[in-house]
Amino acid sequence: MDFALDEVQELVVRTVRRFVERDVRAWAADADRAAAPPDALTRAGRELGFFTDAVPAGHGGLLEGDYSHLIRALRGYELGRGCAALAALLETNVEPALAIQRWGSDAVRDQVLPTLAAGAGAATARDSRGALTVETDGDDLRISGRIGPAPALGVARWLLLAIDDAALVVLDCDGAGVTREALRPSGWRAARWGALVCDRARIPGTAVLADRVAAPSAIPEVLTWYRISLASRAAGVAAAAMEHAERYGRDRVQFGQPIGSFESILRLRDDAETGAAAARLMALHAGWLADRAGDEASWAAAADAASRARVLAGDVVARATVDAVQIFGGYGFVNDYPVEKLMRDARAFEALLGDERFDRILAAKGERP
Amino acid sequence: MDILHDNPQLQGVRQFAQAFARQYIRPIARKHDEEESTPWDLMRMAQGMLPQASLLDERPDRGEAPDAAKKPRVAARMSVVGGEELAWGCAGISLALAGSGLAANPVARLGTAEQKAEFKRCLTGLDEHGHVRVAAMALSEPSTGSDISSLSTSARRDGRHWILDGHKQWITNGQSASVYVVWAQTDPAAGRVGVRGFVVPRGTPGLVPGRKETKLGIRASETAQVHFEDCRVPDEMMLGVGGLAGGLGDTKKMLDSTRPAVGAQAVGIARAAFEHVLERVRAGSVRGTPLASHQHIAFELAEMETEIQASRLLVHRAAWMADHHMDNVSFASMAKAHAARTAQWVTMRAMAILGEEALEPGHPVEKWYRDAKIYDIFEGTGQIQRRIIAKGLVGQNPT
Repeated sequence: MDFALDEVQELVVRTVRRFVERDVRAWAADADRAAAPPDALTRAGRELGFFTDAVPAGHGGLLEGDYSHLIRALRGYELGRGCAALAALLETNVEPALAIQRWGSDAVRDQVLPTLAAGAGAATARDSRGALTVETDGDDLRISGRIGPAPALGVARWLLLAIDDAALVVLDCDGAGVTREALRPSGWRAARWGALVCDRARIPGTAVLADRVAAPSAIPEVLTWYRISLASRAAGVAAAAMEHAERYGRDRVQFGQPIGSFESILRLRDDAETGAAAARLMALHAGWLADRAGDEASWAAAADAASRARVLAGDVVARATVDAVQIFGGYGFVNDYPVEKLMRDARAFEALLGDERFDRILAAKGERP
Repeated sequence: MDILHDNPQLQGVRQFAQAFARQYIRPIARKHDEEESTPWDLMRMAQGMLPQASLLDERPDRGEAPDAAKKPRVAARMSVVGGEELAWGCAGISLALAGSGLAANPVARLGTAEQKAEFKRCLTGLDEHGHVRVAAMALSEPSTGSDISSLSTSARRDGRHWILDGHKQWITNGQSASVYVVWAQTDPAAGRVGVRGFVVPRGTPGLVPGRKETKLGIRASETAQVHFEDCRVPDEMMLGVGGLAGGLGDTKKMLDSTRPAVGAQAVGIARAAFEHVLERVRAGSVRGTPLASHQHIAFELAEMETEIQASRLLVHRAAWMADHHMDNVSFASMAKAHAARTAQWVTMRAMAILGEEALEPGHPVEKWYRDAKIYDIFEGTGQIQRRIIAKGLVGQNPT
């Protein structure tokens, strides 16, 4: 067992950390207030390869060989330390690009992947509660119902849509029968949220990555990638909350001493920092397992680790951000300081893709793939 | 013990507040949260219910009628029963409705007849915007959050006046108030005994309402900075003169007496979130199995309801003690701390059960999650409450 990072991993962490500390943190508050990312994010994201690192080189992207979910978890943690909303935008192309490469027909690869390489965006959403109606229309599918809310869906050209038990498909967000709603929720405000209302929207057979037979094994794999990323970013947000709290606790004096030296505050920080470190390690472990997964059993192990990482990271980020606001006191409740944003941002980590704990229970009972 | 049992007066208060919250508060809650605006129209409509007038009318001057003061009152119980219902409607709006009471309370407790008359005069009629007039309690400062004994706003005597200088922060109604109750240090050498309150009408030269804060929650309640720059206040507007107590100890006592009401509001938020998720669970199913038949969900609901009931009982007990003139300091702190924790936990778990639905813009449970947090911060943080409880346990003076 070796916890040391190799040269490539070190380089990624160092590069992303520098980007986060120099740029992302500087953009975060304004992006939150404006409910939109700065233009510079797209430029920087392109330069650093965030939007194309999962797109194969043969289709104009940067990916040669296998994609590393461990490296993605390492960078996800760093991005989470910067801004959850901007991190979501930087990570948004990964699942669609990997899924299309893994299960897509040549037609859908040739149609979608070059657009991603050229700057189009993609989003991922899941229908876990049977909100959508799926009809078969020859080789095609017809989808009706509302999809979302999901980050990046307000602007994405493509949607990777996981419909539990039914299909894994790629939907053209600008296609016939699709109406887009741009949303501005309270958390990840700058993440260009959206929802799609579909009225018998057509999914051509070539864009069906997995049908009713294949979906039960494909969808958990996609969710595993997504959960690893969410868990690592959540751990980063939790760590950032405590970094802010530590600095504030050093400067803020009440009752004649810095509040950071009160035992009750030290304990809040200590618990949160332990949680963030544990969640990060669980996310990295899940990424490591995913990188090595090949057969059904090894994917099941990676999926289980990713799901557990997300449960822990969801709890940790919820607690850490609430406690950071607590440590800041009245200042924590106002928008001039960074922690109230973190508390708003924390919820999406638990809510996206549905209630993870419930999913685990259903899976244990054999009621969920 | 059930304070509502066999008590038609409190049952009536609950019934009225519940109907008011359902009919008038809930429908406008999202708008005022999103716009971060004060519900002036509602406040005008509800002017007769606003606390400042009743507070000033019901309390005798200090030193009067000691026998009457020993009779059980019902005010604290009314405030917790009504407060839970109004906060169930919207915590921010309920605070907007009640905000002036924070300032009226010390005037009622410590004020002379002249000061009360001046305070009431300032709140008569409508202001230049056509809004109902409101009052502000200016206590907290940028460097003085939990530690209110280290106030730095100064009051310097100048003949028959006091000159106020300093900055106040997190002041409810700080920007719009027509009258302020300002707490300042009159004698730094005297420490907390030197801190006194002053009734200062809007328009007094040197009183400068400051920036309104953008907040995580309770956005319908205005919070702003207030600045005092060579602000001259006549001697007779200092609270606690003529033999009446008026130092910081009385301020702290006053804060203690409001804690059950604050705890009740937290219970109202928790109950709102709980009812919302309960309704969803009753109606929902997964693959044909009702959600309620899953222990994962059902037990979570059971725990939520248990915590809400426990919080309410603590709140009611602390209020009952206040009405019976009993020392309720520890119970008030337990009630407030427990209810605040419950509100945060229930809203958080409710969001988790709802999943992506709770991420929709304007979702009420997400709003209640944001609203709940302040209850662990204002009127004494959770840490301050535990400090008070712990000091009582080991025989130290909890205040």
